[in-house]
Amino acid sequence: MADEIKQEPPANFKVTIDNVTLDVPPGTTILQAARLIGGDVTPPAMCFYTPLKGSGGKCRTCLVEVSKGSEKDPRPMPKLVASCRTTVMDGMEVKSITSERVINARNSVVEFLLINHPLDCPVCDQAGECHLQDLSYEHGKAGTRYEFKRRTFKKHNLGKYIQLHMTRCILCYRCVFTADQLTNKRQHGVLDRGDHAEIATYIEKSLDNQFIGNVIDVCPVGALTDKTFRFKNRVWFTKPVDAHRDCPNCCGKVTLWERGNEVLRVTARKDQWGEILPAEDGKTGWICNECRFEKKDINDWVIEGPMKVARHSVIGANHYEVLDRPKETISAVMGGRAPKLLMDIHSISEVNDPGVDLSKIPGPATGAVFNREKVIEEKKD
Amino acid sequence: MSSQKLLLENAHIEGIRYYDVYRKNGGYRSVEKALKMAPDEVVEEVKKSGLRGRGGAGFPTGMKWSFIAKPEGVPRHLVCNADESEPGTFKDRYLMEFLPHLLIEGLIVSSYALGSNVTYIYIRGEYAWIPDILEQAIAEAKANGFLGKNILNSGFDCEIYVQRGAGAYICGEETALIESLEGKRGNPRIKPPFPAVKGAWDRPTVVNNVETLAAVVPIINIGGEEYAKIGVGRSTGTKLISACGNINKPGVYEIDMTISVEEFIYSDEWCGGIKSGKRLKACIPGGSSVPILPANLLLKTAKGESRIMNYESLSDGGFATGTMMGSGGFIVLDEDQCVVKHTYTLARFYRHESCGQCSPCREGTGWMEKLLLRLDQGQGKLSDIDLLWDIQSKIEGNTICPLGDAAAWPVAAAIRHFRDEFEWHITNAAEAQTRNYGLAHYADPLPVSEPVAV
Ligand SMILES: Cc1cc2nc3c(=O)[nH]c(=O)nc-3n(C[C@H](O)[C@H](O)[C@H](O)COP(=O)(O)O)c2cc1C
Ligand code: SF4
Ligand code: SF4
Ligand code: FES
Repeated sequence: MADEIKQEPPANFKVTIDNVTLDVPPGTTILQAARLIGGDVTPPAMCFYTPLKGSGGKCRTCLVEVSKGSEKDPRPMPKLVASCRTTVMDGMEVKSITSERVINARNSVVEFLLINHPLDCPVCDQAGECHLQDLSYEHGKAGTRYEFKRRTFKKHNLGKYIQLHMTRCILCYRCVFTADQLTNKRQHGVLDRGDHAEIATYIEKSLDNQFIGNVIDVCPVGALTDKTFRFKNRVWFTKPVDAHRDCPNCCGKVTLWERGNEVLRVTARKDQWGEILPAEDGKTGWICNECRFEKKDINDWVIEGPMKVARHSVIGANHYEVLDRPKETISAVMGGRAPKLLMDIHSISEVNDPGVDLSKIPGPATGAVFNREKVIEEKKD
Repeated sequence: MSSQKLLLENAHIEGIRYYDVYRKNGGYRSVEKALKMAPDEVVEEVKKSGLRGRGGAGFPTGMKWSFIAKPEGVPRHLVCNADESEPGTFKDRYLMEFLPHLLIEGLIVSSYALGSNVTYIYIRGEYAWIPDILEQAIAEAKANGFLGKNILNSGFDCEIYVQRGAGAYICGEETALIESLEGKRGNPRIKPPFPAVKGAWDRPTVVNNVETLAAVVPIINIGGEEYAKIGVGRSTGTKLISACGNINKPGVYEIDMTISVEEFIYSDEWCGGIKSGKRLKACIPGGSSVPILPANLLLKTAKGESRIMNYESLSDGGFATGTMMGSGGFIVLDEDQCVVKHTYTLARFYRHESCGQCSPCREGTGWMEKLLLRLDQGQGKLSDIDLLWDIQSKIEGNTICPLGDAAAWPVAAAIRHFRDEFEWHITNAAEAQTRNYGLAHYADPLPVSEPVAV
């Protein structure tokens, strides 16, 4: 007893979010606490990213109401606060989905994020794992009140592997922090300001860096995409498996996105919030460009098994399948032809034809890649 | 009634820009006096004076100074905010151009009070000719022993550097200013931490407006208590007002916050009345971010009392019937001005100046600008007015920095008080392209609500 130095663990703080009370260590943010509760209580977070220092506070989707500041100072906070950047106090009471103000603010942020968004999900590689797609499905309205031309930018090739679709960017700054914190050459990635601000070519300067590919993983939307995966397949047709290799540059622990026995894409491993998981040995989970872009042979990897984290996406959850399809009207305007996009893509699409090696073709997979004769007969019902 | 002058008292003297003349007229006395006091005593004087920040928010300066953290071995900084970019505000420019030594003197005293050995003036890029004036004043002060090492044998060292901005309104927001000063993109920081704890280079930092820091000079000279006797209530001392718009005598005036708005506009001592004998329609009394008021609410409060040029009276009635003192940029609109066009112009400014970090401000300002342009061009719909109201209400309070609020308030106030004019622009679209709505009823006396018998 005498030898033991008694170190009192810092007393935990009691915080109540939407009437659920829990104990968390001091320094925990409201968002982190809400994630411990999980479910609908957890605010959506489009810009905060735990492994990135300084991230958060910008998108404003995670706003919550603090109805009681703390035990010591019970006054409510007058404004809604960004839960990702506000730490809990002992006795704090927070309202997320139980506050009408929060719901209104969240819906309006979603509207703001969408007014200039191209809504090009059908041709976007991110569809199916896009946080904005999920967010708008859960909080958005069907119509738009915005009646002006949407903002557009030119597409940019940021080197061999990465494409930037600035038009889809929500300026979350995650890629900027990533490039800043994983590479040593750059300071800023945003040019200009306001609604004409853009992620710009300064980023190209660090493109030869072994770790720059991670900007693709942190991007919540389809603004930064993997050119080696571009248009090869829809993510919901691919099978994610965890795998590793002995990599001299990084942890080598990845998720492979397979189609049959082909590796179509390699990403870092992510948790249920879409954040990079630290490797078990304590190393960071960021992966190098070699693993990400150049190891597309199944024999490069030791397969561990199916990806452990359950992914959540509106497409994965089949929300889109139950949509009412405007069959009659559409075929009328298309001269009697039934549009493919509105059919059940899961059963009629040719992209899963195992006779075509998607990973072997250099560019995106277009209809020309497939043997037209093998097209599966259209379902008639 | 003539106002007492504390800041511009000597502005008319030939050569007051230069050290010798400035010194001969009593300049740098406050440094001599302050350096014999303890730094905390200087802070105490400023507290007693009741001085409130002149940059717009009106936060008590002495209290702000007492919040500065003093960790052992960490330098502290005072930064003078000379970014003055709020439309309608040009008082700091006047002060720096004509009385640069007054600012330098205030900076030395304030640096001493806060323990800042390296002090910065961050000046907007468009004031291209002023850094030279300031740097010359700094060099003169240094040559005469008021800056540099061991000032007046007090043991206090101080250097002042002038840093030019690149022309961004947002860099006037104190944390964006600090980022820019550090050589980074001028994005406002997410608070907390506040600059008083972690400011420039993560060191405790106080950011104050030019006029605030200049006012420290008379406070030390006459004493905080004397200073507090000027003015009324919590509006102590004198305030610089930059008056512009449709008035006979635009310019920078020093007032003691006891005169009425009516007197300020119509008296020959100040604005000299509305130009060309026209009638007053509306006014933005505190820089573009504060709510616009129609003539009737400007001159009298909702209670029917005469409105006075001070913090309390201008904000009497809240945003429903009042406005704010703001930065003192006093913009007067006569009966020929179009409130719709005017609101569009402001919306365009805020869209252009938003830093783009947070979604409501980045997207909302652009949306409001497009709607207002459409309204101004006679292509609007009645539902656009409600939509504008809805957008501004969704920006306000939901952003990182107050620029979002500053963009929302002018639109809200214009719709609140001038809705008829907006509607007329839509229902009489063709006519609205050829003539203005005019004064309408905006100057009509308001019914005074009877005090409720208890
Ligand atoms: C968008 C924005 C622009 C601002 N511009 C200025 C400015 O140009 N000059 C200024 O003194 N304060 C400006 N401020 C206020 C500053 O953030 C800060 O409150 C002020 O410098 C504090 O000084 P004071 O206490 O002496 O008023 C601005 C604030 C915002 C939100
Ligand atoms: S490109 Fe992607 S990660 Fe970068 S700021 Fe835009 S949305 Fe965020
Ligand atoms: S409110 Fe506007 S100016 Fe301020 S941080 Fe947000 S986007 Fe930038
Ligand atoms: S996640 Fe908190 S503001 Fe974006």
